Formats: sequence, C-alpha cells, structure tokens
Amino acid sequence: MQDERVRVYRGCILPLDLLYDVEHDVWVRLEGEQARLGMTDPAQTRAGKLVAIRFKRPGTVVERGRALATIESGKWVGPFPAPFRCEILETNQSGFERDILLANRDPYGEGWLLLVRPLAPEQLDDLLPGEEAFQRYRQRIDELGLTCFRCAE
Amino acid sequence: MRIRVVDLGLVSPVRSQTVYHAVGYAFRSDAPPTILLVSTTDPYVSIGYHQDAEREVDLEYCRQAGLPVIRREVGGGAVYLDHNQVFTQWIFPRELVPVRVEDRFAWYVRPLVETYRQWGIEATWRPINDIHVRGRKIGGTGAASIGDAEILVGSLMLDFDTKQMARVLKVASEKMRDKVFQSLEEYMTTMRRELGTMPDRDQVVHTYLEQCSAALGAELEFGELTPEEEAVAAELDARFASEEWLYQKGGLRESGIKIHTDVRLHEAALKVPGGLIRVIVRTHGGRIDDVSLSGDFTLLPALGLAAIEQAVRGLSTRREELAVRIREVYRALGLQSPGVTAEDFAQAIAQAAHSAI
Repeated sequence: MQDERVRVYRGCILPLDLLYDVEHDVWVRLEGEQARLGMTDPAQTRAGKLVAIRFKRPGTVVERGRALATIESGKWVGPFPAPFRCEILETNQSGFERDILLANRDPYGEGWLLLVRPLAPEQLDDLLPGEEAFQRYRQRIDELGLTCFRCAE
Repeated sequence: MRIRVVDLGLVSPVRSQTVYHAVGYAFRSDAPPTILLVSTTDPYVSIGYHQDAEREVDLEYCRQAGLPVIRREVGGGAVYLDHNQVFTQWIFPRELVPVRVEDRFAWYVRPLVETYRQWGIEATWRPINDIHVRGRKIGGTGAASIGDAEILVGSLMLDFDTKQMARVLKVASEKMRDKVFQSLEEYMTTMRRELGTMPDRDQVVHTYLEQCSAALGAELEFGELTPEEEAVAAELDARFASEEWLYQKGGLRESGIKIHTDVRLHEAALKVPGGLIRVIVRTHGGRIDDVSLSGDFTLLPALGLAAIEQAVRGLSTRREELAVRIREVYRALGLQSPGVTAEDFAQAIAQAAHSAI
C-alpha cells in the first residue's frame, strides 16, 4: 500500500489518522464527542478468522481494560477491551451479522466494532497518535515475530 | 521453570468446567503456571461461550436424561462429555504463551500428540486446534484469555460416546441426527478404538505429564488449589449452574455442525415452485462428501434422487459445477420434476455447503 496516510511494517497496516491503545491492540477514531473503536491489523492477525462475536448492550458503561465485546476465533475466546472508560452508544452488530469476517477483511473500515462515548477524558491522553503508535508497534511486531495478513483471504 | 500440576481426579460436572476458570480469575502475576487434570463424575453437555443453548442443544432431552448443560468461557461447539475423557487444562501467564493463536495451539497440543504416540497411536496436530489420527479427530482444543491468564483446554480422549453426542444436539430432523452420528463414527476416534482396549487413566496421565515436562523443559510439582482458587470455583459453580448464565443469548456465529477441522455438516431448505427441497450436506476439505436430498417435490423416476446424491460427491461446492453434473443426471435418466430444475438442486446444495464451510 503506497498511501502516505498509513504506515506498513511486516504487512501490518497502521493508519496515521487514528489513535491507538497499543497494549490492548485497539484503534480509536475520535468523532466529536464520540469515539469509534476497532481491532488493529496486528490484533486481527493474532486472533485469526473470527467465528463469533458478542457485544455488550448499548447503554452499558465499561471501565478501561474491561470487555466491550467478546470475540471468538479459531476456538480462542477473549475480550475486546475498552481503551478508556466509556459508554456504549452503538455496536456494529448488523455488519458482523452480514459478514463475521468483517474485522479480518477491513479492520479499520467496515470492520469497526463499537461507537462509544468517552467518560474519562484524562484516559484519552494515554492513547498514542499514529506515528508514535507505529514506532511502538514496530518494536512490538519484532518482539512478537508477527507478520500481518488478512486472515479472510 | 516450575509448573504446578493439580490432578483433581473425578469432580462434579460443573466443577470440571469451573475449576480452570477459577484458577484463571484468581491468577496473579506471581502465580505459577498450572496444569489441571480433571474428569467428570457424571456426563454432561458443555456448550461454547457464544452458543445459543436453545438453538444448539436438545434441552428437553437433556432435562429428561438428567444431563446438565454448562456454558464454558471457551469457544467451539456443544460437546457431550463423560468420565472417559481427562481434561488437560493449562493456566499460564501471558508472557509464557505464544502470541499467535495458531502457534499457541501447536505448543499446547504437542504433549497431547506425543502422549498418543507413546501409546502407539499415530496422532498429529491438525491446525488450528484439532488432533487427528489418519484423518479422524481424537479431540479438539480451546483457548481463552481469562483474567490475567491465558487458558488452553483439551482432553486425553480415552473414549467418547458418539451416540449420546449425536443425541444431545438439537437438529431439525432425525435424518440429520443420523448423519451426525454416522459422521462422528466415521471421522472421530478414541484411544479405546485405536488400541482395541480401554487404557488406564493413571498410566495415560503419567505419560502425558512426562511429555509436558519434556516439551516445556519444566519441572513439574504436584500441588493443590489455593483457598482463593477454591473460593472462586465455588462462586463460579453457582454462576455456571444458573439459568441466566445458560440462557444468555448466543453471539453471532458461523453456522453448521463441525465434526472436525475439515468436516462440516449443514442442512438447508430451498423453496421453489415445485415444492420445498431439503438438503443435508457434508463437506470434507471444501468438497462435497455426502448429500442427502428430500422434500415434498415430485421427481420421476424416484431413483433419480439417489443418482443426484451420488453424482455430486467429490465435486466442489460451486453452483455452476453442481448444475452441470446434475443436468447430466437429468439427461441420462430422463428425470422429470415439475416446478423443480437441476439448477434448483444445485442452488440448494451450494447454499447449504457455502454456509457450512
């Protein structure tokens, strides 16, 4: 991908216009008072093809690090953690109903998971902007020996 | 590295599931990696975390038969379990576990595979998370992130009750149930089946622990659960037995009954002008392995249906390829089916098979 708005390392794509919680492998797109969240390319690669997802209900308030949804892939089950304390406004239930591999195919676009309202502004400061996140991810990708690929393909 | 091994022997059905969750939830960064070995005193049905109990399991039968149905926080499908499996449950700190899920299963499965091999059974790891013996599955595995721990679960398959397994699933027809049973018989195996005799649990466990020690390069220490782990397990016993936990709505899941990694069963129905076509399809490695057609349409001569079923075996699941072959059968046998075409059969089969892969 030649797009200047993304960084690519060992096949792992990281758009520069997003914020990242590198520890939890979550991307964040601030949209006014709201934030859209999804799995990063390294996250979907590590998990493999999704076979199931269950969202917490809109209206639920979730603490940082706790599960906004549970994800199942190749028999692994784990949380999709909140990068900050937030209230769930909307989930991409209908998207995943149509195609359970949405986050594998298009992690930063159609494969978004939830739209939330951040409730702890100070926790947003802990998120890393694209370029800085990319540097951290490079290190992490090396440590993990990861090479990203779109599992759905 | 030291690993704590806790062999709990036989415990209640619910405890055989809650115990590894409890060790996971109680896990602290200074806790040792733990291998739990456990079997259930009585049979039960375990369902995957994201499954819908009412949709997947014949709950009425289970109630009558006195079989508990217990949701686990690990993925996968419904499975009938009894005292003839030894569950091998690993609760490890994150930093000791391979990062990629597939690598994690390869790492976890190795001592299981080696144990079978020591017993003269030609087991191999079949990615992502199956163990196979010459194309038959001898147990699956699962993984989860629970609390601060990474969990891997699987079993030493001394024996497995395929008949009960097929009985507890909720299926749309008894014909489908027969197909499930036949497929399990055809595509599953156990130590008993491979060896011709039931192996001794303690001896198998002994082999397994030797293999764990070798694979992990670790010293194994027999231990017990801590009071905190016991307390969490007791709390979870109540939660896992509650109706609220069992009946929680299933997540979005792919469909079809998975017999093993390569083999799936699925049924579908297609309404066409001449009636309803019902189809049960088994795919093996993405190709049609077995098809069963029925419905309220008219097809003459009647043997044509079996001929179509036979003709599509081994084909890919592409509608066009199926249609070409079915048209040939129509021509060769002079089949007539008012309001139902060769293309309709092809579509019904492809539709089912695609959602089954």
